[in-house]
Amino acid sequence: MKSIQATFEINGHEVTLSSAPNRTLLEVLRQDLGLTGAKDACGGEGECGACTVIMDGKAVNSCLVFIGQVQGCSIETIEGLSGNGDLHPLQRAFVEVGAVQCGYCTPGVIMASKALLNENPHPSDEDIREGLSGNLCRCTGYVKIVDAVRIAAEQQPRR
Amino acid sequence: MTEETLTLGKSELRKDAWDKVTGAAQYVADIPLTDLCHAVIVRSPLHYGRILGINKSAAQNIPGVLRVLAAEDIPGNKIFGPLLQDQPSLAIDIVRHLGEPVAIVIADNLETARMASELVKVEYEPLEPVFDPGQSLKPGGPRLHPEGNLAAQFDIQDGDIEAGFAEADVVLENTFSVPRISPAYMEPENSLARWNEDGLITVWVSSQHPFTDQVFIADALDLPVEKVQVKSAVIGGAFGGKEDSSLAILAALSAWAVRGAVRIVNTRNESFLAHPKRHPALIKMKLGAKRDGTLVALRAMSHMDTGAYASYGPAVGIIFTETLAGSYRIPNVHFETFVAYTNSPLSGAMRGFGSPQSHFALESMLDMLAAELDMHPLALRRKNMLRPGDKMFTGVVVNDTANSLPICLDQAEAIIKRFSQIEPAPGKTVGVGMALAAQSMGLGAKVPDDSTHRLEWSPDGDVYVHLGSPDMGQGLAMAAEQVTAEALGLPYEVVKTIPLDTLTSPNGNVTCASRMTYMVGNALIDAADRLIQQLLDEAARMMNFPREQLSYQVGRVVCPDGQKVDAAEIASRVADDGRTLQCESTFSFPYPEETTPQHLPIGMPHVIFCFGAQIVRVEVDPEIGNVDVTHLVAIHDVGRVISKPAVEGQIEGAVATGLGYALYEEMPLKEHQQWVDSFTEYLIPTTKDVPLNYEIIILEVPEASGPYGAKGIGEIPLVPTAPAVANAVYDAVGVRVKSLPLTPEKLIKI
Repeated sequence: MKSIQATFEINGHEVTLSSAPNRTLLEVLRQDLGLTGAKDACGGEGECGACTVIMDGKAVNSCLVFIGQVQGCSIETIEGLSGNGDLHPLQRAFVEVGAVQCGYCTPGVIMASKALLNENPHPSDEDIREGLSGNLCRCTGYVKIVDAVRIAAEQQPRR
Repeated sequence: MTEETLTLGKSELRKDAWDKVTGAAQYVADIPLTDLCHAVIVRSPLHYGRILGINKSAAQNIPGVLRVLAAEDIPGNKIFGPLLQDQPSLAIDIVRHLGEPVAIVIADNLETARMASELVKVEYEPLEPVFDPGQSLKPGGPRLHPEGNLAAQFDIQDGDIEAGFAEADVVLENTFSVPRISPAYMEPENSLARWNEDGLITVWVSSQHPFTDQVFIADALDLPVEKVQVKSAVIGGAFGGKEDSSLAILAALSAWAVRGAVRIVNTRNESFLAHPKRHPALIKMKLGAKRDGTLVALRAMSHMDTGAYASYGPAVGIIFTETLAGSYRIPNVHFETFVAYTNSPLSGAMRGFGSPQSHFALESMLDMLAAELDMHPLALRRKNMLRPGDKMFTGVVVNDTANSLPICLDQAEAIIKRFSQIEPAPGKTVGVGMALAAQSMGLGAKVPDDSTHRLEWSPDGDVYVHLGSPDMGQGLAMAAEQVTAEALGLPYEVVKTIPLDTLTSPNGNVTCASRMTYMVGNALIDAADRLIQQLLDEAARMMNFPREQLSYQVGRVVCPDGQKVDAAEIASRVADDGRTLQCESTFSFPYPEETTPQHLPIGMPHVIFCFGAQIVRVEVDPEIGNVDVTHLVAIHDVGRVISKPAVEGQIEGAVATGLGYALYEEMPLKEHQQWVDSFTEYLIPTTKDVPLNYEIIILEVPEASGPYGAKGIGEIPLVPTAPAVANAVYDAVGVRVKSLPLTPEKLIKI
């Protein structure tokens, strides 16, 4: 299969790489870029949200995005969220309320939450549940996840 | 609890959370190794068949393929199994379930391994499969294993069952069925192994029992155990399902065969087909009571489907049988349980371990009996609940923790009243239901149940917990650190857990059975006491004071002259001598002989139980049969809270899984005899499926033998959920659904 070249921004840095066109963004992140925060939990079916990253401001399942589709896009992953060792308010809230158990879904849930807060800085609990309904978690029952997102949202300045 | 604590009961932060929220945590699939090869398993396309031949050559000739392995390539024992040695690591002559590993292809990249795996030509003679455990035990069917199709059988009696039913005024008889469900942890199974130049094999696992993996790997490779190093990676959920060594064995075999490093990662689809599930069961139950509600007799005959291989099936059968009478005094019982092999995916350990199945039947039956007797379900339960000093049918005398049962029922009464006053949404029919639950702790009498852990005082002042059992994500490490900090009088922050490595960690035994806080906590309290004694011994020697004149105070040794010396200082001087200030302790689960009758099978009885209750309010759409759980209260006794968020987290997660069991989850055969094997069809609860109105009530009725009074909470919150929902649905629409899940079809069909 002929390789294609893709140039895109990842966590603020531009990268250019060549890849077989049938590879997904998730595979490229994990295998080529060493960014293993995004996880595969459903086998690339887009059912679990564990591979959620932010693409041009929107949450996407990176297992459903082919590498050719990211040309010119800006991608944010969990690794880009905490600058200089300081946790993002969402990350801090997840730690502080105990919303993390096994942690396998956590990077995807946090990225989906970030995209949600980008669009709706002050969501109701209902909005949070709706916004995270594509992210499966088997450990927490979601109670503390919703708490964490609410707390992080409350810390944002009101517009 | 009113006394001052340092850290117990407080909301400490999990130390592994930072790595988990930043994406830095390394699960097996994330560990970078140089020259890493990838293995893909060739799996059986048949439910049952004879292997006529395996042709590896087409796959073997693909550039990039290093080896293709089949059973013949395993140098040592080709068969493993935690209880019964019945499971081939790679199929030998026969395949017994769809997805069974037959061969394994190792290549220098994953794509090549995948492609080549499709070129391994396996010729089969199809055989007629059996999927029903009752059918499997009838004569004339296929014989799946040399010893027959019965993996285990239990026949437990107490009292006089005939006399019991003879004195009953009311007798009810019903059959219940519960489905196969998947633990569905988010991280599919995996394993990574590296063969080292010195002949040591290092294996990274996502496993609840690394020390068991070590033994099975050594056995399969015909190596001494000390040549196998098993390291615990971060575990992405387990819930019982990761008490299975199959991938650890295959990764180690692959690394050994290619003299390199090999990773195997299951797809979700492989996880569904080839990893242990919760046992489906058919339960025939007959319950007899007096007119006043006194339970007098309970008879059950149950068939559990353990699938192609036993896994932990026989032990699940034990806890299932032992919890058939739930939290109640029933003087005459007779329980027969058959754990049968079939050609289904294997069933084994999963959170609750038999108790969710037994409770669905019993707690449904109790509400049916209450209706028959025109009694309130709470009054019926109150009349028959276990009390301290009662003798269970196993002969075990119930301890004081049964005092939590009346508290559960009192709370439930108030909650039911409150729920009953909430107006239903337009067009919906509302119902309220509850269930009690009992869950045993520990592996059971006559099963070795020891757990060893070690504390080390490092010269930098930190105390390391060398935890001998893995934290599967539930927060065991935090509990261990809090107990240690409390026992040593130190801040939580300075106590740190070292990841498990079989070469250096003590053997803490498998993480399971609602007993980790209990085992680890007890071992570490003892280790801390002894570590303090050791510290004082060392200090006495160093400073030439009589030992008895020294005392310990929050990380320091106090000398008779008032001088205080940091433990770190003493640890440092011990280190200068080339020694380590450390102490190991083993806790053995107590099975006192007087309360553990010897006539029972190995693994029975259990002597310590957790109790709890859940109350749910449902709204049912009578037209489409949709059930919406709007309110839920979970009341659970934990003996003593070590970490509040962790206790709540266990309850919240288990309840969600319980709701999945109640309402959606099942893994049936679909068209073309294929199993449901993806999250597209197998639905687990999402954010929108957990009740908006959710309350947790934590009781602290101390367990005398527990660390600071603590006992387990990992499993029980999953147990009462499904029967509570079924009882609420009955209350709402008057339809008694006797099979899980409670899908809309079952509600509108009737």
